[in-house]
Amino acid sequence: MSVVSPKTPSVPNPPLKRSFFDWRVWTVAIVLLVAVGLAVLFGVKQQAQQGFLGMRLFPLKTAYDFKLKGPNDAEVRLDQFQGKAVLFLFGFTHCANICPTSLTNLTEVYQALTPEERKQVQVVFISVDPDRDKPQTLEQYVTSFDPSFIGVTGPKPVIDQTVLAYGGSYEMVAGPTNEPNDYSVNHSAYTYLVNPSGKLELLYGNEKLAEVQQMVSDIRAVLREPRS
Amino acid sequence: MLNADRFCQYTAKDISAPKARKSAICYRLFLLIPALFLFGVHFAFADDQVAVTVQRPWMRAVPNVMDSTAVYMVLVNNSSVPAELVGGSTAIADSVAPMITTKEGEGLKQVVGMKGVDSLEIPAHGTLVLEPNGNHLMVMGLKEHPKEGAQVDFTIKLEPGDHEIHLKIPVQKKPIK
Repeated sequence: MSVVSPKTPSVPNPPLKRSFFDWRVWTVAIVLLVAVGLAVLFGVKQQAQQGFLGMRLFPLKTAYDFKLKGPNDAEVRLDQFQGKAVLFLFGFTHCANICPTSLTNLTEVYQALTPEERKQVQVVFISVDPDRDKPQTLEQYVTSFDPSFIGVTGPKPVIDQTVLAYGGSYEMVAGPTNEPNDYSVNHSAYTYLVNPSGKLELLYGNEKLAEVQQMVSDIRAVLREPRS
Repeated sequence: MLNADRFCQYTAKDISAPKARKSAICYRLFLLIPALFLFGVHFAFADDQVAVTVQRPWMRAVPNVMDSTAVYMVLVNNSSVPAELVGGSTAIADSVAPMITTKEGEGLKQVVGMKGVDSLEIPAHGTLVLEPNGNHLMVMGLKEHPKEGAQVDFTIKLEPGDHEIHLKIPVQKKPIK
C-alpha cells in the first residue's frame, strides 16, 4: 500500500535563496550555541561535584582517639563513634562570633541530611576552656543548636594533647578588664571530618561551613565510601 | 488616619504624568515607605557630617548559657567625610564593643580570635560590613536572651559628632540569605 499524494502542478522549484538574515540559519545556530553552552556548564558542574569542598588528606590516617568528658562527666571517646562520620571542632562557649557561626552552619548541614543519614553522623564540639565550660554548660550550649550534638572537654593537659594531635593550636588572651575571668581564646577554627572507619579524611576552614549543600554532598560521599 | 488615597492625592500634585500613571507611581511610593522601615533602613544626619545608613541589622539568637552575643549590619556612609563606629548600647546587656576577627599563623596552626578595637571605620562614600566570622559588635553581659523572631532596641554610636542611631534589631539564628 502506498500513499498517493494529491497531484500538484509540476512547477519547477524556484532557486533557493538564503540571505544572511535567513531566520532558519539563525535558529539552527542559536540552538547549537545553547546546546554547547549547556553541555559545557553541565560538564563543569559534574566535575565540581566530584571534588570535595573540604581539604582531603592523603594518605588517610587513623584519627587520634581523644578521650574527653561529655554530658554527666561521662567519658566520650572518638572510637565510640566508629561506623559514623564525626564532625568535630574546637571552641569555647564565651565565643560570640566564630563558634556560634560554625555551629549554626553545622546545624543547617546536619538538618539537611535525611533522617537515615543523620543516624550515621555525629557532631562534637570540644571546648578548650574547661575552667569556664563545665560539662553541664556545654551540654545546654550544644543541644540548643541540635539535640544530637555533643559537647566535651577535659583537664587542660588532655585538651592540649588532643589539640596537638590534630595539629591545632589555641591561646588565652586577656580581656580589657584585669579580672581573672575576663579572657578570650584564640583557637584553631577548623572542622575535622573523621570517616566511619575512624580515619581523618576532610578538613574545613570555618568559612567553608556556610556552603551547606557542598558540605552535605561531602558527607554523603564519605558515608558511601567502602569501609576499611 | 493616613491612607494611601489621601497620601497620593496630596503628593501626586507635582508629578506631571497622566492621572493613572501618577497614582500608580504614588501607590508604589506609599508602599515603599513602610518597606524601608521593614528592611531596617534608617537615616541619620548630624552636624551635616555623619550621614550613615544602616542595612540588614540582626542580633544572633544564642543559647541561655551564653553571656554574650553579636550584632551584625551593613553601614553605608553617604557623605564625603569618613565616619567611625565607636560602640553601642542596649538595655539587655552590660556593654557593646566593636570587634575585629584576627587570624594568626598559617595552615593547621592558624588560630582565629577576636580583638576589641576603639572604632571601625566607615569610609567616605563607602561601607562597613559587620558579618558572621568577621567584624562585629559584641554584646557582653547579657541580662536577657531574646529568642529568634524577637526585636531588640539597640543604639549604635558614631563619630564625629557623638552621633547615635536608634534601631530595632531582629533576633535571628543566621543572616537572611
